[in-house]
Amino acid sequence: MTAAATPADVESARGASRESAGTRSAAAATSVLVLPGVAWLGVFFLVPLAIMAVVSVGAVDSAGHITLANPSLRNYSHALDPEFIPALLRSIYYAAATTLLSLAIGYPVAYWISRYGGRHKVALLILVMLPFWTSYLIRTYAWVMILRDNGVLNSVLLDSGVIDEPIPILNTDVSVILGMTYGFLPYAILPLFVSIDRLDYSMVQAARDLYASGRGAFIHVTLPLTMPGLVAAGLLTFIPALGDFVTPSVLGGAQTTTIAKLVQTIFTAGRDWPYGSALGFLLMGVTIVGTLVALRSLRREVMGASA
Amino acid sequence: MTERDLPGMSFNEALDQKLAQAKWSRREFLGRVAAFGAAAALTQLLIACGQGGASPTAVPATTGPSPQGTTTAEATATPAPTPVPTPEKELFVYNWDAYIGEDTVAKFQDKYGIKVTYDNFVDESSQIGKIQSDGKGGGYDIHYPASTWVQSFITDGLIQKIDHSLIPNLKNLNAAWQSPDYDPGNAYSVPNFWWTTGYAWDPRDISGNLTSWAELWDPSRKNKMSMLDDLRECFAAGAFRLGLSPNTTDLAELDKILQLLEQQKPLLRFYTATDQITDMVNEVVEMAHCWSGDWVQMTYDKPRLKYVIPSEGSIRGNDVMVISSGAPHPIAAHLWIDFNLDGDVSAASTNYIGYMGPNDAALPKIDDYIKNDPRLNPPKEVLAELIELAYLKPDDLAHYTDRWNALQA
Repeated sequence: MTAAATPADVESARGASRESAGTRSAAAATSVLVLPGVAWLGVFFLVPLAIMAVVSVGAVDSAGHITLANPSLRNYSHALDPEFIPALLRSIYYAAATTLLSLAIGYPVAYWISRYGGRHKVALLILVMLPFWTSYLIRTYAWVMILRDNGVLNSVLLDSGVIDEPIPILNTDVSVILGMTYGFLPYAILPLFVSIDRLDYSMVQAARDLYASGRGAFIHVTLPLTMPGLVAAGLLTFIPALGDFVTPSVLGGAQTTTIAKLVQTIFTAGRDWPYGSALGFLLMGVTIVGTLVALRSLRREVMGASA
Repeated sequence: MTERDLPGMSFNEALDQKLAQAKWSRREFLGRVAAFGAAAALTQLLIACGQGGASPTAVPATTGPSPQGTTTAEATATPAPTPVPTPEKELFVYNWDAYIGEDTVAKFQDKYGIKVTYDNFVDESSQIGKIQSDGKGGGYDIHYPASTWVQSFITDGLIQKIDHSLIPNLKNLNAAWQSPDYDPGNAYSVPNFWWTTGYAWDPRDISGNLTSWAELWDPSRKNKMSMLDDLRECFAAGAFRLGLSPNTTDLAELDKILQLLEQQKPLLRFYTATDQITDMVNEVVEMAHCWSGDWVQMTYDKPRLKYVIPSEGSIRGNDVMVISSGAPHPIAAHLWIDFNLDGDVSAASTNYIGYMGPNDAALPKIDDYIKNDPRLNPPKEVLAELIELAYLKPDDLAHYTDRWNALQA
């Protein structure tokens, strides 16, 4: 935590004090506007989180009730058990693959909508969000029908003579990553679109005027300037993908267990909420550290670009 | 109630029946409906329907046996022959989705003039969570836990003693069920329906008459088998193969079972407690660890599929009717249990959902296809070999969970 508090906090604190001198009354007026949001998060996020934190140092007594009689960090040391490492690594692998694929697919889409969408931009964005109109679970089950051995994909491949035997796709790494990429793609496209759309295209034109090639202008101008969007899209994909357990449990198989599934097992079949909470907090810690690292590298990136 | 395999059934009837008979569909109703190929809209409609109905937690405050209520109850007259205490006018029941006769609730309401609020749950965790939420039954009068929960519910004071004088139909229970181990003398619970665990296979892909648990470890079926995503059931399968008790708490024995399950894992397509039916029907796997009711449902779409209760021994489970300690309507709750133990009522439920109960009076009225199938109604010798999963103390369960997670990871 100390590491995280150093340059970023100092900088933002300095900025805040400079600002508050001039615009104190305006800040007071606008702070009313954030009250509902703060209250909402306080009640529905912080309070449950605090309960989880308290529970995580408790234990389950012989009757199966949560007891705080002897609070200890036992659950945390238990959660550091190396038995979880394969599932954790697998979760990170799925989330990373999903993020990279989402960015690789999402960036050209967002770029195209922004640059060539013209007056259809809004309609195109609505198309991107269209999948949200149906439950994610149902859409994931639709993938089951597409991917299973006698499903749509295998039937088409068999009928067209590309393969002789159905290839098992469902319940593999491929189906999990495919399903997660499908699910998280809109979360990548939207921030990418915002950042690309804000890009002042005259910068690119200036680069071209100064004899940059198309690729050179993209690499040295477009990409650095849209880096905040890329990082935002990456985080919005990676973090939920890391905790996703719906997709791996529906599209995955015996060899694709993720850490989220193990946490769920501990809560339900294991009936051990304190242990599950501790494991949840450790995962949250991993995610927060990862996010801070990503944000810090972003700051360096952006400052490097503007320098 | 139409016969299950009448060819002239409409789609809706067929769907209704599938859902009704889907005891395990209650586990993952959503997945089942979607997998049956029903449209997304239908699924959402069904979810909406499932969530309808009064919230029971809100009601006890407004009801309760007020003096006014009791007089009206007397006026509407329950045809009770003996001096039975006057029943309340309402009843809150919490049961698995689609796990009762088609018109059982309506008939009870007609007979006693008691308004029943009948709520469903789709999995055990939500059930137990709700029942434990206020330490006295979550506002429900009657609910249906697995028998393995009874002891812990008694210890926790979640359920109340049953007044046998109010339930004359207890005599209908088979002698073997008058005093089950989990609740001697049925003091706190009354058995409802029961099932077995085994595995189903497709005789098109696998010839011969399979009998052993070892078939689920056959490397020639790599990627063509599934196990239940249920740690107790998987450890039980391993325990039976090793000749150990499925309720063992011995760490060395648990490690041995884990070793066996670790050998099996690379051969498995998946662990699932929701998709075993559709994946057998769709030929994704050719062998699936499952419950007897799962197999009944598989045969509706693929009659050739077979099921066996393995010869090394297996699991028998049953659920029970219990009355919450905080039941707002205890007398009506006793009437409900008595009504469901009636031979005709119990048989009607069995014929509708495909699960048998230990009710001797119901036996003559149960459809032959259920009654005469040794896999659904095993003979005494087989039953004697079956073992019930015992409730595990938290520390013991943790040993299972740790090993299960190590296996899964």
